[in-house]
Amino acid sequence: MTSGTHIITVDVPRLETARLRFRPPSLDDFEAEAEFYASKRSAVIGGPLRREEVWRKLAAGVGHWFLRGYGRWAIDDKETGAYCGQVGLWFPEGWPEPEIGWHLMDHAEGRGLALEAAVAARSYAYASLGWSTAISLIPPGNARSIALAKRLGAWFETIYVHPSYGDMEVHRHPGPGMMQ
Amino acid sequence: MIPTLETARLTLRPPRLEDFEPYAAFFASDRSIYQDGPLDRARAWKEFATVVGQWALRGYGAWSVEERTTGAYVGEAGIFHAAHYPEPEIGWMVLADAEGKGIAHEAVIAVRAFAYGRLGLKTLVSYIDADNARSIRLAERLGATRDDDAPLPENERCLVYRHPGPEAMQ
Repeated sequence: MTSGTHIITVDVPRLETARLRFRPPSLDDFEAEAEFYASKRSAVIGGPLRREEVWRKLAAGVGHWFLRGYGRWAIDDKETGAYCGQVGLWFPEGWPEPEIGWHLMDHAEGRGLALEAAVAARSYAYASLGWSTAISLIPPGNARSIALAKRLGAWFETIYVHPSYGDMEVHRHPGPGMMQ
Repeated sequence: MIPTLETARLTLRPPRLEDFEPYAAFFASDRSIYQDGPLDRARAWKEFATVVGQWALRGYGAWSVEERTTGAYVGEAGIFHAAHYPEPEIGWMVLADAEGKGIAHEAVIAVRAFAYGRLGLKTLVSYIDADNARSIRLAERLGATRDDDAPLPENERCLVYRHPGPEAMQ
């Protein structure tokens, strides 16, 4: 799939970490996302999804930047340029408060990339957006994400019942004062 | 930047978060049945964000339609091109209190001119539920004709109304 020739950009800050480059999600990520959401691995975040649903997710992720002024970045491996997944700040209708969220493609797992990206996204939320607190909203069965939340210093706080997705664990991140 | 379009009575401008309340109210009502509704607020938000986000993915998407004299948000019009659409679609929705004033007609004419002019699109269709008599009438008033040979979006059942092409619009 190719992008339109009439380019409309959304204002997305470019962050970098040691190994990752952050950029706005693009149409070029669609096939990788569709493959991820077709796989069983996506079950922990509401998958598997059909292609049209993946499209909505991708587009809604970009729309979130337009509407809220922040959102989820696409992250690329700086060295290889490979698309690794999405990490960022997410607050759609139905969420109890803004969260730090992530999902990674298979090939990017197991190298601490989600941790590296989430730390950068959290710093950005506190330093540039002035957030005073942050959560991660994780479905109860998602052991991998729960473990990552712990490594990020977050602790289980409560269960939030989402109108469509049901029970979600609220993991509270250390606030900006604790990050110094 | 998402462009702004002006017509005699309307301003088509970039969607904003404030538009979500009337948008969600529309999708909570039975009037949205031909647009995959009714939708709860969470799903309506996702839909709203989707049509806004498409601007950065495709270079086109949805505008919020505002009545210029009152500044009131009266609906949406735009060009949709999801992954499973065989070609770009021109679509619209108008809030209940704004119906019957030709708003959708006026907005769609402007969007279509933009699509053929600035964007250089070669074809436009409207995917319309067979029971949606109101939208079918509007499509016909816009000069669109039923194209039963056109490919359908995957997993969707609807009629395809094909709009006159760019050459017919000169």
